[in-house]
Amino acid sequence: MNGTGERNVLLEVKDLHVSYGAIRALSGVSLKVYEGEIVSVIGSNGAGKSTLMNAIMAMVRREKGDVFLGGAALEARSYKVVQQGVSLSPEGRKVFAPLTVLENLKMGAFPRGKDSKVDEDLEWVFSLFPRLKERIAQYAGTLSGGEQQMLAIGRALMARPKVLLLDEPSLGLAPIIIRDIFKELRRINNEGVTILLVEQNARQALLLSHRGYVLQTGHMVQEGPSEELLANADIKAAYLGGGKAPKGLS
Amino acid sequence: MATLIQQVINGLSLGSVYALIAVGYSLVYSILLFSNFAHGGFLVIGGYICYGTLRTFGTGIWMSGALALAGAGLAAVLTERLAYRPIRERTNVTLYLLIASMGMSIVIENIFVIVAGGRFRALPPVIPTAPVNLMGLATTSAFDLLSLVSAVVFLGALQLFLSKTRWGLAIRAAAYDLRTAGLMGVNVNLLISIVFFVAGALAAVGGIFLSVRYTLYPQLGAITIKAFVAAVIGGLGSLPGAVVGSLILGLAEMLTAGFISSQMRDLVVFSMLVITLLVKPTGLFGKSVSEKV
Repeated sequence: MNGTGERNVLLEVKDLHVSYGAIRALSGVSLKVYEGEIVSVIGSNGAGKSTLMNAIMAMVRREKGDVFLGGAALEARSYKVVQQGVSLSPEGRKVFAPLTVLENLKMGAFPRGKDSKVDEDLEWVFSLFPRLKERIAQYAGTLSGGEQQMLAIGRALMARPKVLLLDEPSLGLAPIIIRDIFKELRRINNEGVTILLVEQNARQALLLSHRGYVLQTGHMVQEGPSEELLANADIKAAYLGGGKAPKGLS
Repeated sequence: MATLIQQVINGLSLGSVYALIAVGYSLVYSILLFSNFAHGGFLVIGGYICYGTLRTFGTGIWMSGALALAGAGLAAVLTERLAYRPIRERTNVTLYLLIASMGMSIVIENIFVIVAGGRFRALPPVIPTAPVNLMGLATTSAFDLLSLVSAVVFLGALQLFLSKTRWGLAIRAAAYDLRTAGLMGVNVNLLISIVFFVAGALAAVGGIFLSVRYTLYPQLGAITIKAFVAAVIGGLGSLPGAVVGSLILGLAEMLTAGFISSQMRDLVVFSMLVITLLVKPTGLFGKSVSEKV
């Protein structure tokens, strides 16, 4: 499936600039995510991937440029961005360790108040990640890394976002668990959630996504359908481990 | 034996008042990670509102108490808006907040020195202080029992609020990670205002009981130092810790006063602080630094 057809642009980042003091983290980044798509942004450490996510969420100040959701500008306050329909599963998972799994998921649904659909969505998240249901009353801090990642994704889904942002969902996880989680991400997408993810694990990200962008020291240097990026010699050399996979792996 | 029981009741009563103050202080600490030295000011504001309305309007203790709680709560919210929020929005360094809170503490104290004067004032006798005989075992005052019961009621209400409500859940989440709580769609500034309101109102309850116990004066807030010590012994940022630490401290004070000497009270209190910091710096219930990542 190729997302650049005639579908509507859901999330659009236009000429985004972000600095930390004198250090420029993003210099004029633009990207589009179409409705129903999975888009990945790949790049090495320090390219500005997390900054991009945090700027969309208004966790860092957008110095210049705008972010639009369905044509409307995203607010400059995080809680309003969530209410508008964007939620983030942050880098390093950031689950609330002293709260139970259920309480973490309820936190994700915070802006929805007493919405009666919250319980349905809870069941939906449990159907995606049955492991979470098994551990419903357990403190999040006692979960394994993979389970915490599932919880972080489930928590972000509880906000019923129009666009789900994922910051390094594979970070620090065993390959077999990464495969499980990415399989669930595809299923989440099939159930109608548009996804924008940033990843250092470029191969996994591009295998999952429809289109990809390459971010390098604050600039978007390349974009295209994921298969093309996967096949691109430069990208292979820079992000996919030198073009050919080491023996015994692949 | 009778003395022991009596001192234990007195100790629990005093400790429960410390707990009201320590819990609010700890709550603020758990969210913003700084020691709010203006916390004693909220207690004084509550005391003076109670005193003022009782004296000038002749309202009953329930009305005056409610006004004191609301007034101190709002004063706490206002303090945060005026003094802390501008700093919070510019920097993550909590030391500046600490210094600002010391400033606010001096400001509040001196407002009362100027407006109400520095003299000691006794609250009208609205809270009974008559001696009560406990089944022939010991004699204690109705005041001690009342302050113990009130503290239990208010702490229980706080516990219910934190464990059963949506905002309570958000406060617990924010106590662990304020930034991520903001990412969940929580209006962080509103959350902080709620926390300050609750802390201020609880301090006012403590303030009313302390003004009956020790009379009311602008420096009464200095007693918060005991609540700080209690919070450190219990573990900074931990609410059960603040309560347990306060009860231990109240008991230690009253038992020292009853069996050794009243002058040794503070010596015992601060020795306990030093010992805690030497033996278990995180306190009884404190968060250990290493969390599974």
